[in-house]
Amino acid sequence: MGVKGGLHTTGTKWFMIESQRHSYHLVDPRPWPISGSLGALATTVGGVMYMHSFQGGATLLSLGLIFLLYTMFVWWRDVLRESTLEGHHTKAVQLGPRYGSILFIVSEVMFLFAFFWASSHSSLAPMVEIGGIWPPKGIGVLDPWEIPLLNTPILPSSGAAVTWAHHAILAGKEKRAVYALVATVSLALVSTGFQGMEYYQAPSTISDSIYGSTFFLATGFHGFHVIIGTLFLIVCGIRQYLGHLTKKHHVGFEAAAWYWHFVDVVRLFPFVSIYWWGCI
Amino acid sequence: MALAAARSGLRSLGARAAPARRRMSSSVHDDAYETAKWEKITYAGIVTCTLLAAYNLSKGHPHFDEPPAYPYLHIRNKEFPWGPDGLFEIKDHH
Repeated sequence: MGVKGGLHTTGTKWFMIESQRHSYHLVDPRPWPISGSLGALATTVGGVMYMHSFQGGATLLSLGLIFLLYTMFVWWRDVLRESTLEGHHTKAVQLGPRYGSILFIVSEVMFLFAFFWASSHSSLAPMVEIGGIWPPKGIGVLDPWEIPLLNTPILPSSGAAVTWAHHAILAGKEKRAVYALVATVSLALVSTGFQGMEYYQAPSTISDSIYGSTFFLATGFHGFHVIIGTLFLIVCGIRQYLGHLTKKHHVGFEAAAWYWHFVDVVRLFPFVSIYWWGCI
Repeated sequence: MALAAARSGLRSLGARAAPARRRMSSSVHDDAYETAKWEKITYAGIVTCTLLAAYNLSKGHPHFDEPPAYPYLHIRNKEFPWGPDGLFEIKDHH
């Protein structure tokens, strides 16, 4: 008797087995957890070696990153196959990625909170070593009413576009949903472009006192999150175009939309506390 | 037994009396309405951002003078692993 997927065969006859009396997905063993761990190990060791100018550091770092990116690609490819094509993601199974996404976003909120804390800690009571003032003496700051102000409404507009995409998916308007996701991603790319332009024109660098450290760490990590969210939405756009997302089952898109709202709301904090208050 | 029957009867009565919270037809209508609404909000956002961009970019960008060499500025204890230049630009110090 052979076994193939959920079907058993005796000779030429196929019949469904009735052994699965639960709605959970028992995942087949995969090498991705261990390959991801090895990729992460090579990336961190290679990164440290590279930053300390050890021979082979750049090679190990590059290999680690390639390994890590490959693992992410094939692991998520498998999840898409299991959910979209094999139908393993029942309502009960969908709860897992939902809780996982929410907990991940909560951890991201805490991560960025630490940088805003560092910025507020340094700016609310400036040390005598930096002249006792904020911004520190000699630091030129960007005018918050120029590119920073311009960049702030772009992300909430992109958030409106992702809400448009969500309602279009729920209404079964497949093409409108693709257009809405194209609008979302375009606004995101414009925002990243302006952030790059702002960094290029910035009079200070990350090595200019605690101001540069906190400014570039907070705004840079926010920008990095914008890039990750953009990639997430591009994948959702491609999946919507391919017809993967349905009215009743689009958990991946919902996770991307939650993440995107987190990114666009968080943008308001650096604008108020770092760009605006930081230059008064 | 009588209690169970009464309970079951009440339950079925309640199920019949309670209107469907979100029936399929009205839900599709609501989503179509919301889709159109958020599409308009998105266009309004794009127009606002475009006008703001045209206004801001037409002003040009400011130039800053080199500050005095305070000890807390340009703190660099060792070279970058990729050399003295930036990753994306050639510095003007050499």
